[in-house]
Amino acid sequence: MKKEVPLAICFIVALIYIVSNYFTGVEFLATMKDLLDKWYLSVDAIVVAIGMVNLAQIHGRRVANKREGWLFSLWLMLCMFGMFFVSIFWFKGTTHVGWNFMYNMIISPMNATVYSTLVFYIGSAAYRSFRIRSMEAGILLVVAFVMMLGRVPLGALLLGGNQAFASMADWLLNVPNSAGMRGIQIGAALGGIATALRIMLGIERGYLGGTGE
Amino acid sequence: MKIAAGYVFSFWFEAVFLATVIVMINRARKGMKIPEIYKVAGLDAMDEAIGRCTEMGRPVHFAPGIGDVQNAQTLAAMSILSYVAKQCAKYDTDLIDTNRNVIVYNMSEAIVKQAYIEAGKPDAFKPENVRWISNDQFAYATGVTGIMYREKPAANLLLGAFWAESLIFAEVGAAAGAIQIAGTANTAQIPFFVAACDYCLIGEELYAASAYLSREPVLLGSLVAQDWGKMGGVVLIVLGTLLVSVGSPFLKDLLAK
Repeated sequence: MKKEVPLAICFIVALIYIVSNYFTGVEFLATMKDLLDKWYLSVDAIVVAIGMVNLAQIHGRRVANKREGWLFSLWLMLCMFGMFFVSIFWFKGTTHVGWNFMYNMIISPMNATVYSTLVFYIGSAAYRSFRIRSMEAGILLVVAFVMMLGRVPLGALLLGGNQAFASMADWLLNVPNSAGMRGIQIGAALGGIATALRIMLGIERGYLGGTGE
Repeated sequence: MKIAAGYVFSFWFEAVFLATVIVMINRARKGMKIPEIYKVAGLDAMDEAIGRCTEMGRPVHFAPGIGDVQNAQTLAAMSILSYVAKQCAKYDTDLIDTNRNVIVYNMSEAIVKQAYIEAGKPDAFKPENVRWISNDQFAYATGVTGIMYREKPAANLLLGAFWAESLIFAEVGAAAGAIQIAGTANTAQIPFFVAACDYCLIGEELYAASAYLSREPVLLGSLVAQDWGKMGGVVLIVLGTLLVSVGSPFLKDLLAK
């Protein structure tokens, strides 16, 4: 029963979702789908507590044993539990000015900072990959060159105002790139459907733990 | 009860696809011959990557993406994690699994723990190696970056739904000296993985992984059905292009029903 019950739940819930998406006029299905959506959100919120326990265990052990970098672990726990208790017992919601301050002045700028490091990683990835080791790499280099010049004013400046690079860049994006992406998307969509069907029918059970046997 | 407007064609297409999947699975179950599938370099390299970690005494890092459990890519990643965990348990190699979504973290922990139990080494399972970092995308990215710089994995497996953090993981993994196998169906991130990783599973290859790695005939049968679905899509594209070129909107209207 340890495997059969989760498989049965998976099949029934998946069937409800599929049928409620395709068919209209059945109030029961729409109600069930809304209920399942709400249950999912509730479970998603509750299991955050499990994640916090996991983090507290790992970093608490690091602090207790004073392992390398334990100060960072202590700081993490202070921030995590600090935000948790302050939000629940003081701010009591996301509309409080203090909560908005912590989100807009601390979390958002930090996210933007990490996102902006991508520019350096793109530079290092470009340095490593744009080398003419093979025909494909050579084509990649030429296309990247055209795309970069087509997207900055320097391209037109080099050609005395001629927008040739911009036109070539647009063509590369709209024709071969779009064709390739759409092909991948069609394949990925069918793959996703097949995976979902395998899971729904209980053929693929890797997500249950172990080999599913 | 009737089929919602705009979904009629897709309903029947999926019904035919489902029937094809079931037929091919039944053929495989009966031991009938099914077509061979082509080699996927990234999946063949999985054992090589784990072997490298075993020889070097360094851990394997596995990230199942930042998608939630509803995402098919995450479920495909869980199947691959099951295989990787089994191999790591067999060779006594540390496996560090970092998660962004808490539900996925719970699934990952159960999968890795079960793999160690099935390998006969329940005591070798280290709960602290399966980690939930943060629900926030870039907090997760920062956490994984720190783990890769400190732990220096010899293999970095990035399989699942990735967004902007994909290049961060790939570049940090390269800086740590890891062999990198990545795979995602998010088309915007595939170029980053192709450029920065040693092997890349593109789109549907990620979904094929569990069948490819296990070589179970039943799973391989569903892959063949998947390919037939793709061929059906190609036929529709060619027919649609021809019909629209001669001024007939028949197929276009049919697909929009």
